[in-house]
Amino acid sequence: MPAVRIVLSFFATTALVQAAPLSVTVTDAAGKPLADAVVMLEPATGKAPVKPLPDVEISQAKRQFNPRVTLITVGTKVAFPNFDTVRHHVYSFSQAKTFELKLYAGVPAAPVVFDKPGLAVLGCNIHDRMAAWVVVADTPWFARTAVDGTARIDGAPAGAYRLASWHPGLPANSAPLVQNLQLGGGEQRETVQLAVDAAP
Amino acid sequence: MTTLRNRATRWFHASLGARVVALFLGLLALVQVASFIAIKNNLREQAFRELPEALAVAEQVMTAQLDAQAAQHSQRARVYGGDYAFGTVVKEDAETIRSVLEESAKGRTGADEVAFLGPDFSLRASSGRHIGALAPRARSLAASDGGDGNSSEIMMLAGAPHRVVIAPVKQAQGELQGWLLMSFSFEPRLIADMRALSKQQFSLLVRDGPKEPWRLALSSLEDSRAKALAAAVPADDRADMRPVSVQGEMIGLRSQWLAGGDRAGGAVLGVVSASIDEATQVPHPLQLSLLLTTLAGFAVFAVGSLYTTRRVTTPLRKLTQAAERLGSGDYDTPMRGLGRSDEIGQLAQSFEAMRVSVAEQQAQNLRLAYWDTLTGLPNRAQFGKAVAQAIAEAGESRAPVAVLMLDLDRFKHVNDVLGYHFGDLLLKAVGERLTQQVMRDGDLVARLSGDEFAVLLRSGDAALAESVAQRIARAFEQPLTLQEQKVDMGAGIGIACWPDHAADADTLINRAEVAMYAAKHRGSGVLMYDPALDAASAQTLSLLGELRQAVEQDELRLFLQPKLALGTGAVVGAEALVRWQHPTRGLVPPMQFIPFAEQTGFIRQLTLWVFEASAQAWRDLHADGTVLVLSVNLSTRDLLDQDLPAKLERLLLKHRVPAEAFCLEITESAIMDDPDRSLETLKRLSGMGFKLSIDDFGTGHSSFAQLGNLPVDELKIDRSFVMSMESDPKQARIVQSIIDMAHTLDLTVVAEGVEDAKAWDLLRDLRCDQAQGYHMGKPMPANDFLAWSARWVERRRMPGAAATTTLLH
Repeated sequence: MPAVRIVLSFFATTALVQAAPLSVTVTDAAGKPLADAVVMLEPATGKAPVKPLPDVEISQAKRQFNPRVTLITVGTKVAFPNFDTVRHHVYSFSQAKTFELKLYAGVPAAPVVFDKPGLAVLGCNIHDRMAAWVVVADTPWFARTAVDGTARIDGAPAGAYRLASWHPGLPANSAPLVQNLQLGGGEQRETVQLAVDAAP
Repeated sequence: MTTLRNRATRWFHASLGARVVALFLGLLALVQVASFIAIKNNLREQAFRELPEALAVAEQVMTAQLDAQAAQHSQRARVYGGDYAFGTVVKEDAETIRSVLEESAKGRTGADEVAFLGPDFSLRASSGRHIGALAPRARSLAASDGGDGNSSEIMMLAGAPHRVVIAPVKQAQGELQGWLLMSFSFEPRLIADMRALSKQQFSLLVRDGPKEPWRLALSSLEDSRAKALAAAVPADDRADMRPVSVQGEMIGLRSQWLAGGDRAGGAVLGVVSASIDEATQVPHPLQLSLLLTTLAGFAVFAVGSLYTTRRVTTPLRKLTQAAERLGSGDYDTPMRGLGRSDEIGQLAQSFEAMRVSVAEQQAQNLRLAYWDTLTGLPNRAQFGKAVAQAIAEAGESRAPVAVLMLDLDRFKHVNDVLGYHFGDLLLKAVGERLTQQVMRDGDLVARLSGDEFAVLLRSGDAALAESVAQRIARAFEQPLTLQEQKVDMGAGIGIACWPDHAADADTLINRAEVAMYAAKHRGSGVLMYDPALDAASAQTLSLLGELRQAVEQDELRLFLQPKLALGTGAVVGAEALVRWQHPTRGLVPPMQFIPFAEQTGFIRQLTLWVFEASAQAWRDLHADGTVLVLSVNLSTRDLLDQDLPAKLERLLLKHRVPAEAFCLEITESAIMDDPDRSLETLKRLSGMGFKLSIDDFGTGHSSFAQLGNLPVDELKIDRSFVMSMESDPKQARIVQSIIDMAHTLDLTVVAEGVEDAKAWDLLRDLRCDQAQGYHMGKPMPANDFLAWSARWVERRRMPGAAATTTLLH
């Protein structure tokens, strides 16, 4: 496991009950910003109430999943519409969600409910190159990094947290990188470096 | 550069060492090159033995690798064909199948292109554009399963070689769903593996048709080399290794048809190759060690041969220096290196022997230069030096120095008669006798030349010199006895004294010589130098030159003096005499040059001249009807000349004159000088028909006994008898007896010096045969003789004119 350096900086020293925004910048091993990285902020103790997201779609077009990384909360229903002329056979053997949509065209009759937190790796049985990831979060505070590698999480009250970070570029079957984090009252910036090979 | 090279060339040619070193190094280089070639040949033979085998093995490696690869590909195809996911798709639409082939099958099997065929081998879907074309061959390909489940073949696809495999698609129940046809391109790794296994080079060559050239598909060789190899590979297939030249390198190769060998279409050839040149090349370490050995050998040989040649050339150089020393005249420094026993030592010893010999020679030369080898006396050079030294020593004191010069009489005669050996003994004896007579220390006896000796008297005045000279003369009066022969040796001795007669040594010696010649000439034993002698002597010397000139420039004249018969008064002959018409001195009298000519031997030429002129005169007279006998005088030297008869005969022939026309007159003394030899000559002359006459009879020592042995015809009574007989009856009686005796010997008697009628009459009364004299006629030019003769005859006819009449001239 590569060493992960965590830089903490506190903008306010007085603890406030009011939520404070958190900016997390995720970089690859070379320090470059990583887009499509997932950051989730979980309370160190207890659990924050989570609501399923409205219906989410992972489509198949040009023999690719779109989007490749999907961030949802527990209980969210995901539909798999096939926009290709060829059939697809979508499946997941991940513990977070095991399912199989046998060769089909068009939109399968029922969406797939992701009812357990964790990471589900999706594939097409007949198209080896097709891959997608569904990150099922059990916390209301999460975000994906934009092109600049930064994600912003709002609404988390000050307190102790675990910050979990993940990116599809991590070695297969890697768990999210978890680090403890103390949220203060003011805006806070974090930088997380993941063991992701620098993009070629 | 050129001069440098020239200098190097000169050095090379001049130095033995350089050439020996070059020779040794050259030989060594030759040996090294030879061993290099031997090693190379060995390697070559080995390479040609081993390479074919290695290539055969490599070819097996290639086959094995290709087979293994084929098995691997087939395996993958079969696995994929049995894949559940794929089994679910085969019933789907072609588009989906194609996408699976594209996305999944290729990825999982590593195939370049994949096609799905139905169970009937009909093409259902394919990834890629080319593999579909192979569908028609799929059935036979599937049938080619050798029992191991692998059905594969190498085929040309899109201009490149591919491994094409076919595998069934089956469901779990074993129901045949169709076929998967896959093509795999050959990866460089395969070739690299082959190379790693066998160490040889592998190439895959392809062609699109039998007439097409081979193209390179894949090779372990570098690109350009591989392409050149492709171009060099012949179209046919042979299993044996064959050498092929590729980019100037010899390459051995084996090839194997991998596809299309028997088809008209494209073909694939597997080629195994190895560089023959590389195999036959001498390995670098060996090359390096050879080079090092060579360099080390060069160094050792160079040093060794330089050392050896120096051992030779250094003494040679020393010998050269020694020879140069000898050349420059230094004979005293002994050679070095005589101790060596080798050839150099022998050479040095030879040089040393030469040096000693040359030194001795030199000493001998010095001795020859100053000593007379025959007598052991000093020679002329040393004598000259001694005289000069004596004069120098005398110096201020003006103490006189005298030189005696001595010349033997008749030495040449002795030499001629008794032989040179005897002559040499005589000279030695004379030297000894001279030395005995000169008693004082510091006086010197030398042999100057031939029969000429000299004596140096230091502090000797004229009186002393004279007395020594007289003593020597007396000593010579004693006959010498040599080899039981007694020899009478007379000598002329000349004396000159310093400072009275000469100022220096050379002149002193010359003057003594002059005095000596004068003494000999006068017949007096000893003569002191006198300036008057010198004048005559100088005249004599110039005379010889002039006399020669006289003969050459026709200055001699023939004079004739008539000889008359006393009985009839008729002209019966004439004596031929020579006169010299000198261009400046006028007519030179005979007494002034005849004796001189006799001394110098020039008389021989004169005699011949007179004889020839007489012969011409005789012919002239004969043409006029006058027949006379001409008398020609012969000297001693003429008589001693063995060639004289032959010379005279030539002249007779030349002028067509008989020998009987001549009377040859000889004096008694001429005969007596060498009676035997003279007699021989006289006999020959007489035999030729010449008349012979004894001239001046009565003055010499000859006797009638001797006369009887001589082949003479005539006797000439010396004028001294004739001129005195008128006044002296005693003389008249002598003349009478001579005439009578001559007549007894059948000799004609001629009287000379008839100067008056009285003498004529008296002689006639004494029955003398012929007369010659001024009374009748003086010698006259030959041209005048005829006129005189005519006058004489005319006068004789005149009545009353008696023979006794005084004649007009």
